[in-house]
Amino acid sequence: MIVAIIGANGFIGTRLVEIFHLGGLHTVVPVVRRASSLALPARFALDWRIGDALDVPSLSAALAGCNAVVHASLGDPRQIEAMPAVLCAAAAAAGVKRIVYLSSASVHGQAPEPDTTEDTPLHCHHAMDYNNAKVRAERAFFRGCAQHELEGFALRPGIVFGPRSRWITDLAADLRQRRAWLLNDGSGICNSLYVDNLVEAIAQSLTARSHAAGAYLVGDGERITWFEFYRIVATSLGIDPATIHRLASVPVFHRTTQERISRLVAGRVGQTVLPVMPARLKTMAKRLAATLTPAFPTPDRWRLSDAPQPRLTQELALLQQCLWQLPSDRAMQRLDYHPLVNFTTAIQRSLAWLAFAEGRT
Amino acid sequence: MTPLPIVLVGCGAVSQLFYAPALRVLEADGLLRVAALVDPVEAARERLQQFFPHVPGAATLAQVDTPRVCLAIIASPPRWHAEQTLAALARGWHVLCEKPMAATSAEAEQMIGAAEAAGQILAVGHYKRFFPSSHYLKFLCGPAGPLGALKSFSIAEGGPFTWPATSPAFFKKKETPGGVLLDIGVHVFDLLLWWLGDPDDFSYADDVMGGLEANARVSLRFGSTRGRVQLSRDWATTQRYEFEFEHGDASWTVNDANGLSMTLDGAPFALQGTLRGTDGTAAATNPQSFIAQLQHVVTAVHNRTPVLIGGREGVRALRLIEACYARRQLLNQPWFSPAELSTACLRAVNP
Repeated sequence: MIVAIIGANGFIGTRLVEIFHLGGLHTVVPVVRRASSLALPARFALDWRIGDALDVPSLSAALAGCNAVVHASLGDPRQIEAMPAVLCAAAAAAGVKRIVYLSSASVHGQAPEPDTTEDTPLHCHHAMDYNNAKVRAERAFFRGCAQHELEGFALRPGIVFGPRSRWITDLAADLRQRRAWLLNDGSGICNSLYVDNLVEAIAQSLTARSHAAGAYLVGDGERITWFEFYRIVATSLGIDPATIHRLASVPVFHRTTQERISRLVAGRVGQTVLPVMPARLKTMAKRLAATLTPAFPTPDRWRLSDAPQPRLTQELALLQQCLWQLPSDRAMQRLDYHPLVNFTTAIQRSLAWLAFAEGRT
Repeated sequence: MTPLPIVLVGCGAVSQLFYAPALRVLEADGLLRVAALVDPVEAARERLQQFFPHVPGAATLAQVDTPRVCLAIIASPPRWHAEQTLAALARGWHVLCEKPMAATSAEAEQMIGAAEAAGQILAVGHYKRFFPSSHYLKFLCGPAGPLGALKSFSIAEGGPFTWPATSPAFFKKKETPGGVLLDIGVHVFDLLLWWLGDPDDFSYADDVMGGLEANARVSLRFGSTRGRVQLSRDWATTQRYEFEFEHGDASWTVNDANGLSMTLDGAPFALQGTLRGTDGTAAATNPQSFIAQLQHVVTAVHNRTPVLIGGREGVRALRLIEACYARRQLLNQPWFSPAELSTACLRAVNP
């Protein structure tokens, strides 16, 4: 099968290209947005193409001659929402029937309710814009598939880790800088998914029967807590897990004025109004916004050296409150998905990549 | 001094980001005047004409009409360097050729031969040698270096490819004979060869599996000094050059033209500082170093004096790169499954 991989330069796309091409599973056509994104796909003698995931003519030209497409493109919330309609229209124009779209488990929120499955209704009232964008995007994807009579598979992976993943690099950096932290001793469930296992789910989606089209949660075979995830990474890096900050609670996250303004600008209303707004008015609005943003306080010179503080993010705070392991049962039954790599091996390979990237091997 | 006419060949990213602003400064200073902009792509010429509105554009060198004494700057993709340099030399022009000076050392030899036969200057654009910090490191690595003999070094350079390439030529084997080693490694090798001379031995590995490398590793030995070089277009490296001497360490951040860090053995703290002239004047910045290279070449043309990095000096890095490619081994990529590794080995040997 000739498979186009949109977003072939990203962390998941890169591994997809490696596994499909080197494993001889499919003929791969990497698709990237711009020439400068070709560094990794160009390691192989492949028919790579430039295509804009936000532009139907550009993307359909890039998909020409392919039998199926995997969409692994990243973007900001606005782009995330816009891409599925473009994807479906471009695939239809190029005569590609089968599409595997990478949705996210975050359509259920970072800490989904117990008993959450694919049948749990989705909503757009999540605290994080990313989640809401992914919900709208997945809906748009299935709408587009229905409109163009395509076979759409939307995979909802959780914490996808592996070579080049931020879950490995950011955690390693936080551990080394003594900024890593665990909530409630890390008892929350990390819905982990090693990238090779995600690729396996994608591979199964590409060959599954048409009537299996739909949305699927996918995860690793094991139930992993955040403590276990952090412990194994810390130990492998020679860091005592006891040095990880332990928190009993996390702060309530509020959007700053600047974030609210950026959100407004990036939103539908902002994008409609801005192009027709006079330049003078824009300048005045920017000045007003600047006055609303509080000046950064000057630190007191008379203080002790800063001790490393936990790097708190809203996303991680929500994730560590998760008490439910999202089930892969449906993917196992309908796609014949089975995780090929166990968690221990997955972490070993991820950290072996980190050592490679840091020049330690 | 009459301003030297300049023909800028290749109007891509390096011309837009480096040559255009530098030429404009030196044009205002009266040292040179831009006489023609050459590129087969009209849109690329037009972008450069925003810097030089009254300068005529041409699709090919043959269409350019300039006086005989002139400097051609060859800033096109490497596969065109030899052909365009030879054409420029044939017209009696002097040449400053951007790095790498050619696609192969055989082409470079042709360019050197043509320049020497015609008695014209062929300079190579290794502008990092004009950094004050590069000069300081040469001093430290030399026989009179105050930190003693160099014991080892470790160089890590590169990160995700962000160069605003206007075409995919960087990633097409037909257009560019190498990946990150040729692109970034040519600078690293040029500096190493300048500082330490030719290596006695080396080994090389990269991640080519039928295409062009995104990651490369080189181990080198210069006498008793051993060092390693890590290059990447894939992942952010530390962007540091680390040197371990007999009596202390020195380190340099890539492209920091006038900054260095040092640790003296036994000293309670490390030093991090900005270089200054011995008279207290500020040392050149990165853009000023690029301008200095151009000034140097133009002055050499005017005065008929040798250039710091001529063809014979410029080809050394290219030869070492070719020698590395000849000894290429597949980098160990430990996240590959055994099946992937097996195919990767096959693709590395037989694309």
